[in-house]
Amino acid sequence: MISIVAQQVRRRVAPVRVPLGAAGALLIVVGSLTPWATFFFGYPGKVTLAGFPGGARLYPLLLAPAAVLVVVDLAGRRRGGLTAALGAVAVVGWNVLAIAKDGGGFGAVAYGGWLALAGAGALALALHSLPADRPVAESFGRLPAPVELLALAGSLGLLLVVVVVGLDIEESSRFVSFAAFVGFASAALQRLGGFAWLQSVMERHHRVTIAAAALTALAFPFTQQGSSYWLRVFASIGVFAAAAIGLNVVVGLAGLLDLGYVAFFGVGVYVGALMGSAGRTTYQGEWPFILVIIIGAAVAAVFGVVIGAPTLRLRGDYLAIVTLGFGEIFRIAANNLDWLTRGPNGIAGVPDLALGNFSFGDTHEVLGFSLPAFANYYFLELLVLAGAIVVFTRLNDSRIGRAWVAIREDETAAAAMGINTWRMKLLAFAIGAFLAGAAGTVNAHVAASVSPDSFTFLESILLLAAVVLGGMGTVAGALLGSAALFILPEKLRAFQDIRLLMFGLALVLMMRFRPEGIVPSRRRQRELHDEDGGAGAMSAPPAAPVAGRGAS
Amino acid sequence: MTQFLQQMVNGVVLGAMYGLIALGYTMVYGIIQLINFAHGEIFMVGAFAGLFTYARLPPSLQANPLVALPLVMLTAVVVSVGTSLMTERLAYRPLRRASRLAPLITAIGISIALQEAVRLFYPLPNGQLGAKSPVSFPRLVSGANLELGPVTVARVSLFVVVVAVGLMLALQAFVRTTRTGKAMRATAQDPDTARLMGIDTDRIIVVTFAIGAALAAVAGVMQGMRFVQVDFRIGFIAGLKAFTAAVLGGIGNITGAVLGGFVLGIVEVMATQYVPRGSQWKDVWAFVVLIAVLVFRPSGLLGERVAARA
Repeated sequence: MISIVAQQVRRRVAPVRVPLGAAGALLIVVGSLTPWATFFFGYPGKVTLAGFPGGARLYPLLLAPAAVLVVVDLAGRRRGGLTAALGAVAVVGWNVLAIAKDGGGFGAVAYGGWLALAGAGALALALHSLPADRPVAESFGRLPAPVELLALAGSLGLLLVVVVVGLDIEESSRFVSFAAFVGFASAALQRLGGFAWLQSVMERHHRVTIAAAALTALAFPFTQQGSSYWLRVFASIGVFAAAAIGLNVVVGLAGLLDLGYVAFFGVGVYVGALMGSAGRTTYQGEWPFILVIIIGAAVAAVFGVVIGAPTLRLRGDYLAIVTLGFGEIFRIAANNLDWLTRGPNGIAGVPDLALGNFSFGDTHEVLGFSLPAFANYYFLELLVLAGAIVVFTRLNDSRIGRAWVAIREDETAAAAMGINTWRMKLLAFAIGAFLAGAAGTVNAHVAASVSPDSFTFLESILLLAAVVLGGMGTVAGALLGSAALFILPEKLRAFQDIRLLMFGLALVLMMRFRPEGIVPSRRRQRELHDEDGGAGAMSAPPAAPVAGRGAS
Repeated sequence: MTQFLQQMVNGVVLGAMYGLIALGYTMVYGIIQLINFAHGEIFMVGAFAGLFTYARLPPSLQANPLVALPLVMLTAVVVSVGTSLMTERLAYRPLRRASRLAPLITAIGISIALQEAVRLFYPLPNGQLGAKSPVSFPRLVSGANLELGPVTVARVSLFVVVVAVGLMLALQAFVRTTRTGKAMRATAQDPDTARLMGIDTDRIIVVTFAIGAALAAVAGVMQGMRFVQVDFRIGFIAGLKAFTAAVLGGIGNITGAVLGGFVLGIVEVMATQYVPRGSQWKDVWAFVVLIAVLVFRPSGLLGERVAARA
């Protein structure tokens, strides 16, 4: 029904495509130079001024070059251009709504806003009427190495700018328009093939990429001028991401759904907290932290084996429900076993770590920069995260990793190929628990206190969501997902009330429209979207997928 | 002894509730092998929908259970079935060919979204939006407790057991004797072959979801009547325990779900009463039972085998 309407619209628009697109682009340019709001009522971003585009008015201007595609029709890259134009519609639309809300009605919206909105709409219509995407062979030209390295450095720099600018925006509404711009712009880039090319460059120069990423991460505390706010957030993200990578072994590689994963994390947290404080009070000494991490991780892994051994012989769904049950048991036990966990009050005042004379709790001066306490934990966290990443990637590339993927895809066939599926699944489950336990012990010191309330079902779901939204089976996905799940609530405080509702719906929509996540593993991408390109596209009839898209 | 008998009665009442909810899990699982995580929320939505109608009745009708009760039940069933069918259409059906993980994750998403929707947007009787704290629920079936020898039975409890057992028997009869019931059994055995035999399996799946939701709605209203209040969180734990009951009885097996419900209800009540400090661990017993069943008898009490369908 909807697809028929879309088809009709396309046919009508096609003859006037070029003038419509040009008019749209022109309107966007004019709109971005003219005021969007009739008067200033605290709505940020210089929307009342004429002339130089500032604030949100910059975003549609940056997306407008998609109009070029109307004329050039680059090898049938319709969807990329359309995404960019829809991004302009979304950004302008959001701002128009926000201005109308703040100004008490649509009268508050000045002509510039309407012009930009009309322009973005016209551009989207024109791009919509382009012929369907033709499958494109995945061959990327190799450029000279210096050029590729320059592009790599440039894109990492761009990423850094995006992060810095994004973190700087305080106001929720402005952050939404920024996030919409970044989201649509990157989706458009991806559909135009930019990311695929960048990925191939990264793979060719993967050592440089890793070194650059590590350097950026290490340099971050030095840019904070002694403030610990974002260091604290990023240290927490690191803990969360390390746990998410562990969960990714279980869910992403082996395809086992673990709904009580936070319990393994909690085991680690309690081991860390108990040994940390017990070491101080009982023995007047310290357990070496490296030993504590290993003990915490090992205890969690033992729990994983105990839970997994009976259930992993059965169908995967049972595991989901048993792990869920285990998560609840853990929380209730932590609440009730007063002699061990101090019940609902939890354990407060976990002491700071110390390595010899180096206390993690103090501010240190390095090269003339003052690094607050959280910088120390941030570095520690990077180390743990790096460990988790190494474990994940090495396993993924190994015989074991391939066995897991085989089990995930078809357990019966995997067993027929001689894989001991039960043992392999148990191994995945135990390694996942091990990584969660390790992350947990560190978290005991980062957070300095523990309480059973931090290990609810929702926490497990948040971890799962970090993996699912980011991309199952990839490190980058788990990192991105964790970062997004931590930063978005910080930034969207104005929408705090409907946060969980949006989260639930996002899970549904993600599974429906992009089950492979934001950063898909290549294998999964091919499985799930045959029509998007790659080998599968050659055999698919070109028109069918587009009709399907229109319907959705 | 008196205490034991009294607890036995309490266990049966609790078990009747679990069994009623478990039927929805077991039927859906039997047909499409999906753990419908949102089923507990369907139960919760039913309770709130019933309350919505009750609060808007004139006081004279509120006082008359013969009018109020059917109306409350009817709204609960209609809203729950509607919610469940919408969920099936939007969240499960598009993913029927996807990996098994996908519908489980959407089910969790739906479950969170439904809870939040009630928490934020439920129209309270006083005109405010959002049921952020527990809302009081009418008893509807009132009157003096029944004294059966040493045992005391509240009228509500009797009502719960009678309604639950009645509905279970009706469901059995429906599945055994009607044409649709036969089609349901065929689809559960082998959906592809059933389709070849001319059964509209999509329709059968819809019917299954609808029946499960209706039973859950009735259970939701009865839960409200028993505790005289409802909360947007009640679906989560109730759903988990009902699922345990379904597994305990042998998932996919209707009689099993009922039996599992009663066994679980009695075990929970007895453990809470007789294990030292058992009440602190009230919500743990179900999981202990679940894990024990999966270790020692994964096919459940009445299940023949755990089908390893690829």
